[in-house]
Amino acid sequence: MWDGIIVGGGLAGLLAGIRAAERGKRILMISEGVGSLTYSSGVIDFGNVAQLVRQDKHPYALLGESIVRNGADYFQAHFPDYHGKWREVQTVLTPLGSPRKAGFIPNGLNAQVLHDAHLIVLMAPEGMKDFFPKVTKANLERAYPQCVVKVHPFRLDAFESWHTLGKPVNGMDYTKYWRSASGTGALKGVVNSLNQELDEARSDPADPGKSVVVFPGLASAFSNSIKEVLSDLPFPVVEMTAFPPSASGHKLYDALKETFGALGGELMVGTGVKQVEIQGKRCHKIIVKSKGKDSEFSARSFVLATGGVFGGGIEVTPEASKEMVFGLPLYVPDEWTNSEFLGDQPYARIGIEVDRELRPIDSKLNEVILENVQVIGRMIAHWDPWVEHCGGGVSLASGWFAGETM
Amino acid sequence: MNEQDRVKNLDACIKCSACTAQCPVATVYPFFPGPKNVGPDAERFRLEGILMNAGCLNYCSNCKTCEITCPSGVKITEIILRAREKAKLAGQKDEAKFQHRVRDLVLGRAEYLGRLGTIWPALTNGLLGVPLVRGLMEQTLGISRQAPLPAYHRKFKGIKKTWHSANKQVVFFPGCFVTYNDSLTGLAVVKVLEHNGYDVIVPAFHCCGVPLQANAHFREARENARENLSLMNPYLQAGIPIITACTSCGLALKEEYPNIDASGAELIGQQSYDLFEFLWKLHERGELREDFQEVLVSLGYHTPCHLKAQGIGTPSVRLLRMIPGVRVNNLDAGCCGLSGSYGYKHEKYELAMQIGNPLFERVQLCVSKGEFQSMTTECGGCQVQIQHGSGVETKHPIWVLMQAYGLAINH
Repeated sequence: MWDGIIVGGGLAGLLAGIRAAERGKRILMISEGVGSLTYSSGVIDFGNVAQLVRQDKHPYALLGESIVRNGADYFQAHFPDYHGKWREVQTVLTPLGSPRKAGFIPNGLNAQVLHDAHLIVLMAPEGMKDFFPKVTKANLERAYPQCVVKVHPFRLDAFESWHTLGKPVNGMDYTKYWRSASGTGALKGVVNSLNQELDEARSDPADPGKSVVVFPGLASAFSNSIKEVLSDLPFPVVEMTAFPPSASGHKLYDALKETFGALGGELMVGTGVKQVEIQGKRCHKIIVKSKGKDSEFSARSFVLATGGVFGGGIEVTPEASKEMVFGLPLYVPDEWTNSEFLGDQPYARIGIEVDRELRPIDSKLNEVILENVQVIGRMIAHWDPWVEHCGGGVSLASGWFAGETM
Repeated sequence: MNEQDRVKNLDACIKCSACTAQCPVATVYPFFPGPKNVGPDAERFRLEGILMNAGCLNYCSNCKTCEITCPSGVKITEIILRAREKAKLAGQKDEAKFQHRVRDLVLGRAEYLGRLGTIWPALTNGLLGVPLVRGLMEQTLGISRQAPLPAYHRKFKGIKKTWHSANKQVVFFPGCFVTYNDSLTGLAVVKVLEHNGYDVIVPAFHCCGVPLQANAHFREARENARENLSLMNPYLQAGIPIITACTSCGLALKEEYPNIDASGAELIGQQSYDLFEFLWKLHERGELREDFQEVLVSLGYHTPCHLKAQGIGTPSVRLLRMIPGVRVNNLDAGCCGLSGSYGYKHEKYELAMQIGNPLFERVQLCVSKGEFQSMTTECGGCQVQIQHGSGVETKHPIWVLMQAYGLAINH
């Protein structure tokens, strides 16, 4: 018998698992795949909290501002590699080099320093996939008109075979390499030779002054060896977010998993829930699709964190939408779409309606459907991460709350 | 899967590249385009009759990381294995040298090698320890001279004893590693099961077929499965569980054997258990002996890829943590690289070491920080490779249970 079973291993599920395990609960987490954090930039957005806590039925409004803040504080206390302050806006670079606002960010991504820079050196790793130095340079020049932007191409022996083949090197492969023992050595070499060049430039009377290095394909968060190399440098290094699959998102996933595991939590990846057993208003067992046969796991409480439509927690067909684990009723707007592509898309608000304890409710009868099940993250109805920019905040707040109360 | 389900499964791929980003081979080897490309992408061409270079497909190490990574449930490794078989049936000449084909024939036959090696284990081990012999093996067979070939022991034959008719019974499928290289672990498994009131039956099984499949001998792999199933069938019909302590054999029993056209195939998936999955089930039913003695040990744990693929979690970690004094650090640092016989091949040895490097570095770091002194993992191949790559002793978790029960092997 487990104290809690969490179905879904994304940001919300993992944070719930970490908090519950930290409280001494025996937690099993079941995840279909590696979760959407590997697609994410690793940046955590909160949106306009003051406004959203007043928005009818929004998860922030159900939980209240103090819980939203608790989730954020809890995350930050456990992951000091993240930078940010409650209700303070940070700046990061998009994969194309334009600045954007953000909530909590991996330390290395902080682009604030670019405001005071005079020279931006844009590192251009040879053949890096989904990195466009010319576009990035143009965007940096547009955003920071006081700066001269210089592109600094470099090439590594480790990827010679890739270059010979004419095959692009995935940004994640660059990140993995920098983190290995030989990669850290190579990184020292790359930044040292850059430093020498900058030294020469500094003695030049035409020197533009303060330099900042922008470095795609590098993720220093959760890597002491990379942080050490960077801390010795006389210039700041700003990392970039990346297109999926993204190293920063992936490293956040790894760090969450590691914390959960270190607290005694067990994560099962690559399998899903086939069936649940319910008695009255309580779920007591889930049946998992293992190879060969099904495995049964009993628990006192359950958390549904299966990631909405894009996480596979909700299946949408032209006829209907369906919640895939418990078969819970969904809030579905009358009109699903809006002709304005980047505008408010009503389907984004599809989800399960919950009470203040995050238990699923039948909103017509105003009755709790399952008393020992909590719904978190993207599965909750009535919010839109793309328009409201609150995806990270909802996941942290609801995840922390479930971990705290399950 | 029938043809319609296959195409549907193929269509589930949303081209997100999560599998390729996680693929241990693609990360270190640019000539392997990654699971998405050789799997679902190339499958569309294969459906149109356009086959790709089989040599490239052979770089898939069959670790199944892509399958458990895929958020859309695409059976990527299965697609790749099927493509390898299709290429073979089509008589497609891969660029592999004759030498490699002979080598794959040899490495696929872990069972024959084992029988040969255990005739006079000391002699075999002595010979395998001679650099000149390994040099010759590399030149003639393409088996890397640096690869950590496991030593041979006296062959495991189970334990002869009089059975109590009142006892419950289980069948133990030892697998080639236990049978030929690590008979003591086999005896330990039997001891622990007996300690819990089971009579352990060990029929003269053949290799499960995984090494054959991995070395492109698909027909022979199925033949082995059929022979094993016929040995298992009477027990399966009697409702007796089949237990294995090898995670790759376990995956084969659960994933491949149910598709074999033989009687017993309809039962094998339901009735086969990983050893610790079985012990955990006993625990949940209140049937496991839990009179554990304190064992003061800190261990690092490595989850074998083929255990991950079984979708049963890590029952050994759960069980070891129930023993007073035992501390287990589940490293979750990726594939060890060996993948059965993959890392023994001279053209793949370096790759296998690079694949396992993050794990080895992690193990060494933890040991140097004093977090633990030794490693534990169920898979024999992983044990050998982790020891080789990190220099840290690695054993099957059953040994911790032996200590906790105060059991020993009598020689």
